[in-house]
Amino acid sequence: MQVRFVMTIEPKAEPHPSPTPNSDARPTGRRALILATAVGGCALGAAVVGPSIALALAPLHAKSGGGRWVRTVRLDQLRENEPRRVAIVADRKDAWTLERNVELGSVWLVRSGDQVRALSSVCPHLGCSVNAVTSADGKSGDGFACPCHTSAFDPVGKRKSGPSPRDLDVLETRVEDGHVVVDFRRFRIGIAEKVET
Amino acid sequence: MIRRVIDFLDDRTGLRKLASHLLDEPIRGGARWAYVFGSALLASFTVQAVTGVALMASYAPSDKTAWASVHFIQFQQAGGWLVRGLHHFGAQAMVVMLGAHLTQVSLFGAYKKPREVTWWLGLGLMAITLAFALTGYLLPWDQKGYWATRVATNIAGTIPVVGDASQRVLQGGAEYGSLTLTRFYALHVVVLPALLVGLVVLHVALFRRHGATPPPKADLSRVDAFFPKQLFKDVVAALGVVAIVLALAIREHGAPLDAPADPSSDYPARPEWYFLALFQLLKYFHGPLEIVGTVVLPTVVGIYFFALPLLDRAPGTALRGRVKPLLPLLVVGAFAVALTLKAQADDAGDATFQKERAKADVRAKAAVKVAMHGVPPEGPLVMLARAPELRGPELFDKHCAACHTLTESGVLHGDEKERTAPKLDGWSTETWILGTMHDPDADDRFGRTAYKGEMPSMDMAPKDADSAWKPMPAEDMKAAAAFLASQGDEPNERPPATSLRRDPKRVARGKDVVTSRCTTCHLFEGEGDDGGQGLAPELSRYGSVAWLRAQIANPASKATYRENALDPARKGHMPRFDGELSAADIDLLATWVRETARR
Repeated sequence: MQVRFVMTIEPKAEPHPSPTPNSDARPTGRRALILATAVGGCALGAAVVGPSIALALAPLHAKSGGGRWVRTVRLDQLRENEPRRVAIVADRKDAWTLERNVELGSVWLVRSGDQVRALSSVCPHLGCSVNAVTSADGKSGDGFACPCHTSAFDPVGKRKSGPSPRDLDVLETRVEDGHVVVDFRRFRIGIAEKVET
Repeated sequence: MIRRVIDFLDDRTGLRKLASHLLDEPIRGGARWAYVFGSALLASFTVQAVTGVALMASYAPSDKTAWASVHFIQFQQAGGWLVRGLHHFGAQAMVVMLGAHLTQVSLFGAYKKPREVTWWLGLGLMAITLAFALTGYLLPWDQKGYWATRVATNIAGTIPVVGDASQRVLQGGAEYGSLTLTRFYALHVVVLPALLVGLVVLHVALFRRHGATPPPKADLSRVDAFFPKQLFKDVVAALGVVAIVLALAIREHGAPLDAPADPSSDYPARPEWYFLALFQLLKYFHGPLEIVGTVVLPTVVGIYFFALPLLDRAPGTALRGRVKPLLPLLVVGAFAVALTLKAQADDAGDATFQKERAKADVRAKAAVKVAMHGVPPEGPLVMLARAPELRGPELFDKHCAACHTLTESGVLHGDEKERTAPKLDGWSTETWILGTMHDPDADDRFGRTAYKGEMPSMDMAPKDADSAWKPMPAEDMKAAAAFLASQGDEPNERPPATSLRRDPKRVARGKDVVTSRCTTCHLFEGEGDDGGQGLAPELSRYGSVAWLRAQIANPASKATYRENALDPARKGHMPRFDGELSAADIDLLATWVRETARR
């Protein structure tokens, strides 16, 4: 590093008028010196750049999110087979910031009887937010569509058409004290398998 | 193959000629160790540039985020502490190498004609390096950087005519705030680096033009090429500097981080060691003379440095002929060393300073610990105001310590002589519960309270015991203690490995013991066997934050003690605090007392 630095920092200047450098009498000595300089320069570079690269790569070590059960709306606020988008409100730790009760994202909830199906609103194609499709009679319930690249999904989240590599991601739900509780997770985008980030 | 690639590139770029120009520079009088300081400075600047860019990628300059992001770098990001440590000690290495380079150049007379401009550029580089140190010191937005830098900008403000305006421009306003931080940041990461690189290019170009200044007795017929003879020495020196910086960074595990900047606090501000001489100078000039120490003397020294090559015009670089012009430099250097030592000796002998420093260190340590859970968007000061570790002892001293005592890592809160309520050390732990079951009227339990004599011992016969009285078996006592202590565990807590309640069978047995033997007087989940007449408190969730919160808010709400517990006839019962303290403060106090007692 140091070798390169010195080389590049020094600008062109008029060579000093002086006798030519005396050629080293012992070529092996010169070779050893060159080798030592090169090795030293590499060690210097490693010592300086290594820790900074390690810091730059720190996000690779950070542990991924994992799921968490988040309470959303009351079950009786959901109408049968009518998708409803609900906000996921919970605490968020983002780098150094700890925020209480902020919107982490949203999920689509579809009720059928006492069961609730939760679909991640993140399109598995490239991560846009999917909308519910409204049918001609003004009712939503015709499935989901992504506004970005025209991926379309049926009412249970199965891929119908478009570039999405997989179905919409289903999240686990349960009903607690009359409230729908969702296991909120995120998944990797753009691949055929459902893998958590 | 490699040769062909180089040939290809050389053909298009003139690579070989450039390399030969850079590396084959002749050094008249031969390569020398004395010439390494300039390169070592460049090497330490490289350390600063590389680590600085890495730090920029995680640092967020605002008064709400600066401290938190530096904390994140230092304590949570992989490799962050090392990079920050390298940057911190690399800055000090630059100052040291600057001094060494300046000394070498002065002694060798390398400032003399025709090298005056090289010298002036060097002085400019020195000013830029010190400006780097000053602006960088503020960026963590911790107490140390904040107060030391405030002193520096206030000094700038005392300069006649331009002082006020320059201070405002520098600070981004009349007071310190977010703009101060963003301005210092812009200076530190863009303006100063650009100036430094520009001046270094000119400085080195002029150095190449005139060559090194050999000592007067050097054999000028001897000529070495820069590469490899001088470069080898330069690399060895740079390695030495980086090795020391690395060793210091590892030894200190990064760099110190003080408590977050708090404009409303009092703080014993001291600058970094290389500014201590200037700091000490301030103590000797008062009132209208103050400007002598802050501006006049440093300016005079600066002017002398600038004028040195113009004053020293005699031919030759022999040291003997230059004693007179160099003497003032020697005097300035000696004074700087003496002032620095005096400043350190003053502080070492100043008990008040040491006490304030220790207080600041305790706060810094606590802040660092609290921030491990994350910092709220409102910033680290709000975090501290909400932190049980810091607010807890304050509230306890104010509201609880008149009757209770509690020891927090060796520090006693409250007065043992004045105490009229139980000692809270170990409250609700297995040991504490066993002790209370054995002797509830012990001096550190209810012995000094209005409740003395209310609870019977479980294993000591009362005075009026008849033949039917039997002590509770030791195993039952242990089981009850295990169960009761488990009631105080919060869902995310794991009891210590050696604790009784690690055995679920014992805990289950303890529940039987408690619900069959204790509810004669105590409540359990709101129920007792005595028709509501007893005085003894609720045992479910005993030792939890919720229990303690309820007890502090109102000890007679039946969540802990029963309604009749606050009977005016029973003097000295714990008062309710829900009128006096906010719900948030009660929560905070309960959390702190419980943590401290059960630790």
